Amino acid sequence: MANSRPLRPAPDDAFPTATSRLQAETEAVLLDHIPTQASAETTQAPAKLHKSAHIQFLARNFIQGFPAKYTSQDASQPWLMFWTLQSFSVLQVGLDPGNKQRAIDTILTWQHPDGGFGGGPGQGAHLLATYASVCALSIAGGPGEKGGWDQIDRKKMYQFFMSLKQPDGSFLVAHHAEVDVRGIYCLLVTATLLDIITPELVEGTASFIASCQTYEGGFSSASQPYYSSVPYTPESLLSSPRPPLGEAHGGYTFCALASWVLLQPFLDLSPRERPQINTKSLLRWLVQMQGSPAEIGGFRGRANKLVDGCYSWWVGGAFGLLEALGVSAAVGPVSPGGGGGVEMSGEEGEGREDGKHGEDEHEWDDVDGPPFLPSTILADLAHKIDVADSFFNREALQEYILFAGQHPTGGLRDKPPKQASPFSGISIV
Amino acid sequence: MAKPTKPLYSSLDEWVDVQPLEQYEKVNPLAPIFYTDEYKDATSYFRGIVKSGEMSPRVLDLTEHIIRLNPAHYTAWQYRYRTLMSIKAPLDVELKLMDELAVKYLKTYQVWHHRRLILTETRDPQRELAFVEESLREDTKNYHTWSHRQWVLSHFNDIDLWRGELDFLDTMFNQDIRNNSAWHHRFFVVFQSGVREGEEDRERVVRRELTFTKQNISFAPNNPSAWNYLRGVLEFNKLPFSTVTTFVFPYTQPTDPEAVDLVDLDNPPPSKQAELPCPAAIEFLADIYESEGGESLLKANQLWKSLADEHDTMRKRYWEYRIKESLQKGST
Repeated sequence: MANSRPLRPAPDDAFPTATSRLQAETEAVLLDHIPTQASAETTQAPAKLHKSAHIQFLARNFIQGFPAKYTSQDASQPWLMFWTLQSFSVLQVGLDPGNKQRAIDTILTWQHPDGGFGGGPGQGAHLLATYASVCALSIAGGPGEKGGWDQIDRKKMYQFFMSLKQPDGSFLVAHHAEVDVRGIYCLLVTATLLDIITPELVEGTASFIASCQTYEGGFSSASQPYYSSVPYTPESLLSSPRPPLGEAHGGYTFCALASWVLLQPFLDLSPRERPQINTKSLLRWLVQMQGSPAEIGGFRGRANKLVDGCYSWWVGGAFGLLEALGVSAAVGPVSPGGGGGVEMSGEEGEGREDGKHGEDEHEWDDVDGPPFLPSTILADLAHKIDVADSFFNREALQEYILFAGQHPTGGLRDKPPKQASPFSGISIV
Repeated sequence: MAKPTKPLYSSLDEWVDVQPLEQYEKVNPLAPIFYTDEYKDATSYFRGIVKSGEMSPRVLDLTEHIIRLNPAHYTAWQYRYRTLMSIKAPLDVELKLMDELAVKYLKTYQVWHHRRLILTETRDPQRELAFVEESLREDTKNYHTWSHRQWVLSHFNDIDLWRGELDFLDTMFNQDIRNNSAWHHRFFVVFQSGVREGEEDRERVVRRELTFTKQNISFAPNNPSAWNYLRGVLEFNKLPFSTVTTFVFPYTQPTDPEAVDLVDLDNPPPSKQAELPCPAAIEFLADIYESEGGESLLKANQLWKSLADEHDTMRKRYWEYRIKESLQKGST
């Protein structure tokens, strides 16, 4: 039961600072969301994901439209589409043929004449929007004249990708835009799905990813290249210094690690020495992101920051990726399930424990929203993810989501008392 | 909803030559957004401008308007940048505008990146660090703000910029020694961006960093940022963890009410109010024992077991993994 563990507040060593004060406030709020022994005994019901309320929350926005406050997502329309479709898919809700065709037609209006997809009609092509559009098509679309999948211009997509490439192996997320590992992850997944990934496209990219690992073990958003006298060519790139810009972060760590997994077949093509990452320090950092019993075992995204529902996906998912690289927990019982007093069963009784798809970001809510692995790529990692869960406390994380992450009127959220959002929903499911 | 800040473009004579473009012309879209009239009007004229390829001062007004309504509209930023370059607009004016927008839309990627693009053109970073310090007051852990500071330092790589960084960090640590962004910045400055004047004696630098870190751990031992930094300093400089065994040991023990005050700069003891034993210290000591190998593995295993069963039960599976892994290594 949730309350059988001791709820020791995070120790502040009688040396309070802004960080420890905010932490204490958050723990106090979370405490109200843990059922007491008495209430658990009287209700006898296991904790549930309120499935039908969540579906209504999603369908309302999808069919009727999003209210004006979603104007902030105007440049992320593919994400709204993708999150909703993916949530329906995970919750096993089908789309009728008419709405399916509308979805395909809507997505195709975002394709840019020079390749890639933008955040809406007439918007510039962007790696994150491209990823979300292609993934959305992989759910709603199919082959054929009106299926959407064959209407993706693969040749121009490749040209668009190459036009974003930097001498240090990284990619801009759009023309005149920033470099970061989210975009690289989106590019690699898209290129893999569309079968346009080539050694030319990814030359130097693995080295760039490796350079983003920080001394803490997780990964940052990007690294800064230094060049010798002939600037801005791959040949003049110095292997050191090549510092990460920004600290280790759950969202970027997921993107970097997933990129690293996708780049495995290309590692030997590196022009210089084979790039490496430190999986030992990475594993250590990942497990340290899980909060204490007083935080109901939720995940945080950086050291000394607050737990947040979205990192269930980002950090939780990273364990599965590590497993794909051969870092195996393989101690004790492989499947920790049961015994937690928590069942993931929806009201329809068909909920599944292994629904690891989804993503979101909240604390990581900066803009275009977070990517996640589409089910097609996730499929061959799926069995490994179950095994990998033995690295962290899975029952505790479920409790965080079910007790703290569900909004009473439907939808999922970062933490109480915040509002629900489609991003939280998808990540947490 | 917010009141319109400007009259609609469709009502203005000076925009009559632009053909506004609807967003969805032939499609009845799913998951649409119900925009305000102001936003719909501005973005329709923007689509018209993009189509015609016009680059002129009024495009700067239009894109600023859209950015203020939705700072994540990256296409408006992109087109704005191209227009600035094309008409050779004064970039100091643009940077002034960015001062306002960066603080207003602190969490938006675009405000920070646009700033970078402008600075890359002007090559004048002189007021940048002060600006960053100012905006960190709004949010002391903002990822973009810290990344921007690191970009300014490494991109321009000017000794005058680097010079004040440790003093700046002192200010940040005095506010909050648990600010992990500040710890990361310290690592970036001291170890990862080359060696600068006055820092050539690396042994001295490492000693200084170890002293600094130990001191901070002694104030508040349960601070993961400080322990991570300690690990980072030792690993980066290829020093064994056992370099600091004497320091770490008291933090693995229960609080000692009999402890007397003593000043030992090399091995500062835990503060009187410290909540001990500290799991990070136990983990650290276990790593020391593990690297010693042989008989010490048993001691490492005992420590991991104490973490799994008592001091850090949330990570029980991880500590059990460490035990299993060390036994496998030990037997081969």
